[in-house]
Amino acid sequence: MPKIEITNNIRRLRFDNGEMTQQQLADAAGVTRQTIIAIEAGKYSPSLTLAFKIARTFGQKVEEVFQYQGRNLQ
Amino acid sequence: MNKTQKAAIFGLVTFLFCVVVMAYPFISIFILKSWPESFLSQFWPMIVYFVFIVASIIFLRKKQSPAEPDFDERDDLIKKNAVLAGFVSVCILLAAACIIPRFILGDEGVIPVHVLPFINLGIFMIAMLVYNVAVLIQYGWGGKDAQN
Repeated sequence: MPKIEITNNIRRLRFDNGEMTQQQLADAAGVTRQTIIAIEAGKYSPSLTLAFKIARTFGQKVEEVFQYQGRNLQ
Repeated sequence: MNKTQKAAIFGLVTFLFCVVVMAYPFISIFILKSWPESFLSQFWPMIVYFVFIVASIIFLRKKQSPAEPDFDERDDLIKKNAVLAGFVSVCILLAAACIIPRFILGDEGVIPVHVLPFINLGIFMIAMLVYNVAVLIQYGWGGKDAQN
């Protein structure tokens, strides 16, 4: 089974939103800075709730923050 | 570092202190063949550990930011995996504690009863060590810190 890849552009969105720091994003999303670091590095896939919180922090939709790179099932 | 990482480091240092506290009287009595006279030389590991506990209380309470949670969903996942690693280590050590003496002492061998608490304590301490190391290893897989 191919590995499921979920990528994100959180780092770019942080810089586009007044050069937000990882700590500021972590505080807004209610998680630790280490979790934000792991998400940005692609080492951790957030839960649905956390993905929505991060997207709402940037005022974006979830699909605009996180992208699914897996195999097309259709 | 967040609270879970700090707690894991605290657990690791506590384990090392326990080893020192247990080794010190063993070395004094069985190797050096003498027991220290003064109160300070007898109980210095405990005094140092007490100072370490007080310093740790301050260290553990300090947060990266006022809004930082004590733990989040990733911490839960890491702790769950670490508990699993600790449980597996307990199973392996218990099996070893049952099988190895049989091969060393033979079918008719006898182990004194007072050895059993030491075996249990040793297994517990190693399980805690495995738990704390598993937590720190999993945090190490989270990518490098990009900012301070």
